[in-house]
Amino acid sequence: MKKQIYLASLLVLGLISAKAQNIYDASKIPEQLRQDAVAVVRNEEQVYDYKNPGSGTIKYKTAITILSKAGDGYAEFAEVYDRFSNLYGIKAALYDANGKKVKDYKSSDFKDESLISSYTIFQDDRIKTLTFSSTTYPYTIEYSYTQDFNGILTLPSWRSLKGYHISTEKSSYTFQKTSGLNVRFLGSSDLKTDSTSVNGKTSYSWVAANAPAAIKEPLSTGLEQLATWVKIAPNQFEFDSSKGDLSSWNTIGAWISKLNENGDALPPVKKLLVQDLIKDAKTDKEKMQILYHHLQQNTRYVSVQLGIGGFKPILAEKVAQVNYGDCKALSNYMKALLKEAGIKSNLIVIGSGIPELNKSFSSMGQANHMILAVPSAKDTTFLECTSQNYPMGYIGYDNSDRNVLMVTENGGQLIRTPKYRSTDNYQVRKTSIQLAEDGLATVTIKSNYGSAQYEDNLSNLLSEPTEVRKIAVQSIGFADAELQQVKFEQTDKKVPVINEEISYKTRQLLSKGADKLFLTINQINRKETVPEKITNRKTNFSIPFDYADDDEIIYTLPKGLSLEFIPKDVKLTSEFGEYSASFSTQGNTIVYKRTQIMNAKVFPAEKYNEYVDFYKKIYQADKLKAVLTKI
Amino acid sequence: MQIKRLISLTGIVCLSLSAYAQKKEFKFGKIALEEFNAKPFGQDSAAAAVKLFDVGECFFQYNDRTGFEYIFERHVRYKIINKNAYDLADFQIPLYKSSTGNVREDLIRMEAATYNLEAEKIVTTKLGKESKFTEEFNKNYQIKKYTLGNVKEGAIIEYKYAIRSPFTFQLKGWSFQGNVPTLYSEYNVKIPEYLIYKPSFNGYYKINQTKRETINAHYVAGLTSNAIYTQYVLENVPAMKSEPFITTMDDYITSIDFELMATNYPGDIYRNFTGTWPKIIGGLVEDENFGLFVKKNSVAKTLLPTIIKGETDTLKIANLIYNYVKSNVKWNENYSLYSSETNPKTILDKKTGSTADINLLMLMLLKEAKIDANPVLISTRSNGMHPGNPVISKFNSVILNANIGNKDIILDATDNDHFIGMTAYESLSHQGFYVDLKNKVGVWTTIEPTHRNEKIYNYNLTLDTENKLKGSMVQYYKGYGALSLRNRYRSNASETEFVKSLKKDKQGLEIDKYKINNLNDFDNLLSEELTVTIEDNVEEAGNLVYLNPLLYERTKENHFKHETRTFPVDFGYAMRETIRSTINFPAEYEIEKLPKGSAFKLPDNKGTFSIQFLTQDKVVLVTSIIEINKSVFSPEEYFDIKELFKIIVEKQAEQIVFKKKS
Repeated sequence: MKKQIYLASLLVLGLISAKAQNIYDASKIPEQLRQDAVAVVRNEEQVYDYKNPGSGTIKYKTAITILSKAGDGYAEFAEVYDRFSNLYGIKAALYDANGKKVKDYKSSDFKDESLISSYTIFQDDRIKTLTFSSTTYPYTIEYSYTQDFNGILTLPSWRSLKGYHISTEKSSYTFQKTSGLNVRFLGSSDLKTDSTSVNGKTSYSWVAANAPAAIKEPLSTGLEQLATWVKIAPNQFEFDSSKGDLSSWNTIGAWISKLNENGDALPPVKKLLVQDLIKDAKTDKEKMQILYHHLQQNTRYVSVQLGIGGFKPILAEKVAQVNYGDCKALSNYMKALLKEAGIKSNLIVIGSGIPELNKSFSSMGQANHMILAVPSAKDTTFLECTSQNYPMGYIGYDNSDRNVLMVTENGGQLIRTPKYRSTDNYQVRKTSIQLAEDGLATVTIKSNYGSAQYEDNLSNLLSEPTEVRKIAVQSIGFADAELQQVKFEQTDKKVPVINEEISYKTRQLLSKGADKLFLTINQINRKETVPEKITNRKTNFSIPFDYADDDEIIYTLPKGLSLEFIPKDVKLTSEFGEYSASFSTQGNTIVYKRTQIMNAKVFPAEKYNEYVDFYKKIYQADKLKAVLTKI
Repeated sequence: MQIKRLISLTGIVCLSLSAYAQKKEFKFGKIALEEFNAKPFGQDSAAAAVKLFDVGECFFQYNDRTGFEYIFERHVRYKIINKNAYDLADFQIPLYKSSTGNVREDLIRMEAATYNLEAEKIVTTKLGKESKFTEEFNKNYQIKKYTLGNVKEGAIIEYKYAIRSPFTFQLKGWSFQGNVPTLYSEYNVKIPEYLIYKPSFNGYYKINQTKRETINAHYVAGLTSNAIYTQYVLENVPAMKSEPFITTMDDYITSIDFELMATNYPGDIYRNFTGTWPKIIGGLVEDENFGLFVKKNSVAKTLLPTIIKGETDTLKIANLIYNYVKSNVKWNENYSLYSSETNPKTILDKKTGSTADINLLMLMLLKEAKIDANPVLISTRSNGMHPGNPVISKFNSVILNANIGNKDIILDATDNDHFIGMTAYESLSHQGFYVDLKNKVGVWTTIEPTHRNEKIYNYNLTLDTENKLKGSMVQYYKGYGALSLRNRYRSNASETEFVKSLKKDKQGLEIDKYKINNLNDFDNLLSEELTVTIEDNVEEAGNLVYLNPLLYERTKENHFKHETRTFPVDFGYAMRETIRSTINFPAEYEIEKLPKGSAFKLPDNKGTFSIQFLTQDKVVLVTSIIEINKSVFSPEEYFDIKELFKIIVEKQAEQIVFKKKS
């Protein structure tokens, strides 16, 4: 009898361990999860315990099967911590294809390094990393950790898919909070929330199972359209001895305003300097112009982010001493300069180059930048205080056309930054090409670039001439080209426009084919490829930015050549944009004109192939050739 | 300026700049008004800043507890011309420490300031407390960071600091050249008579030794010792500018390094640390992470029979061992000359390791299988060229050389897709130091790869009257060409994704069928077979139809367009590209005239290009062959390659013209 029990319990044990060994067996991954996947999340469990406005704990555990070499990037543990959060209880293990454990990692296998972004001098983040490694595929990695937060601004979010080309067998998030703590949720349309309340704690949970891998589609509006996700924002918070209310953009603004209270005082000598600088200026605009120029000439961008310093600008008084600072410090300093000149301005919290602030969901972490606004009923001026080159009022494409938070003494207020339209982001190009009897072509191109296209050419304007020349030589399409000269200029510092003049000589303008000569007429602005059509596209797409190109070429042909064929004019109109190309000839000249205007908008997925068709027609029109013969 | 030409080990030309060191005074905070007028010079006349001077000193002191340590002092001053040079106002000093933190470098002094000229008066801004930061980078490095205030166009900035270091095996080196032009650079080295260091010179310009004298020094109380004082100076040094196709800029920056060669303490014998190859080799043989590691063969006893499985042919045995190692241990992306463990078994258990872990493990197995194999010490491309003299610290990796059937074969098992005879691109630094562990001898050897980057494209396409091309593209890859294709193929999520990536930038290409052959079979040729439909590549004008028969693989752009070249062009390996395109055209078309074929050859067969156009009935056959037969071209030879590629681009662009029968 005793023996039997022993045997039975052995059997049970045997079963358990066999099961434990096999849970990560890669052959058990359903086919639909292998489709387009380089890795599969086998089981992810995220549990967050929100204890009070200033503290919480996350327990995280995940197991990922790496299917091929392309999935090695997912075989990594990398967690960030700082002095407000403690990372501990880290465990990591590697399993082979059958789900058999190959090894447990030791704490000495982990690297611990400072984490400082490239543009920052100093911040107090650190990162612990471990790269898992296996020569055979598939293999499975597993790790878990606990992290305590002492100071909270944001709460963890969750998404069913970790990225592109990775599927999810199972993933769950349980968010638990002490009653009395208020949070808000924002989720995908398919999000199903389970909630229970026990003993003064409410818990919410979300689960995803068998979510197939997503493919990154060109111009895609993002993974959020394909995955199930939830974001959570606290209403009250405590962080680095500061307390605040995040329940609306207005209260967030009020907190930032309070953080900056009296931060815009200037030392007396600076006050005198401001008065002296503006003494001859008549209008506010002139004063702004003078002070913005003063800022650009005398300060530089240096980023240091420490604790609450990530939100609170360095005092204007301090910036006045050292003449450097980050976006917050420089914006606040400019605010102080304007204040001394009697001009009222407001700090602007902005998401630059990332999705704009969500009007209906206020939280920290949606912004990454600060600029300044001088409000006016009809003509608010925005100032990018970290740029040493932008004309006053130009804030750059990444800052344009978005909801931003204006910080006022009455709290925050959402306003919109100006949009740079296609007619602002222009490229106007006038070209003359003189073709000589012996085949030598002299090409002179004069271009003007506006706004976003001005930004694209700014580095050319600022570089050493020898470097500009190197880049120009590289960019000319002819292998034999001899660069004559290249020059970038900004004639009027008050507007975001750069003029370029480049001239070169080439003998390869005409391509030979037997006794015919071919001339690709558009020599200055061709679309060289067309994106591919996609069947069953899943995500919406957006054209990256509004722009308008306007090109003209005048060819002068030598006597010995006659024009045998000239292409017909092309005109295309679609909801994506407009295009025209015209070819005309008069005496020994060919005149080519091309215009293209594109509209940055979000289009539904099913329109994508129409967009490709439109693009393809432009591609074809751009490479139309004239045929010449020798006489 | 007197120009002297010296040819160094690998043929880099050293130019000598002015050699007249004047007596100069460098005092922190003492700025002469005329320094504000300093201007960049020569080819750098539009530079964003000028380094006015950079003066360093390295001298020793004696610590009763730890022995000799050195102090490194540096004083550098810049004139900022424009905003592009503001980065110079952010300054970092890395400090090294042992992993346990017990032995470490210390920063013992640091001062810095900005000077602006305002109304003829110099206004000083000193480095403030709030502008100093300490980053604990990782267990081996702490980084001190500084940012200067009031930096404006026209400002002068300066730093002066001193580091105390117990790591006397190597002294702090000195770079005489930087990203901005340098007016004056000076390094003073004062070495106690008890220590002997070997300097190694590097770079494009010749460093002037302006002083070498014996001076009095006091290290231990009550004892006067001698020290050797050497001074190195370079003036008017142009800014360093990068160029494409080079190993690393470090190979060309004019600099000097010092490695400890020997100690000669009173009452002690003369201890020679490095300095001769026999000593280096002897040390390696006895090192538990090198020679002794290779000798620990216990794991081989049971493992080897399962790998060899009775095979008797030496080359085949070598291949089996090579394949076993590359498929069982994954490279952890670290280069190392020494193994990280003392027993090869641990590496096999870990399944991952550095270049030394993997290749020395392989060496152990090869030796156990009685194959004549030995290590080759190398300095990788980004680690910079080894100076050639007996300095072990300049090596950072190891590969193997096996002699099989009287042939030398390079072995490097750090990539599963390597062939026998192949080493990683990073290891293609042209020469390595071959060490015969048994006979304890060594010799420099060339590691020019026997494999080149070879691709063969065979097209067989039929043109229809709707100007579509249909048919097959069969493409073969050898050597580095195969390595690169395998790499690209494997980095895609699936074959579908890979095929998608193939189509990228190839306008009009539809791949109806795709097959890759011998992806995992290294004994046979790697190839791709594509069934394709091509649109958008045939054009019509009037009754003429024309197309480029080389399609997507023609060289569209000359990568050698720059007008000047200072440094050698270093491809790493030779290359060969063959395109054979057969176009069958419709009965309704006639050939107007074919382009002329031609052939070009660089002197000494350094590179060739030929293109041929043939036609018979309704078929055109075009063959284009490009060969680059050397891996390194001198700056003078740059113009040869430039010219060759100019011709390639021009000739490969020529079109075939058909006339439609009316």
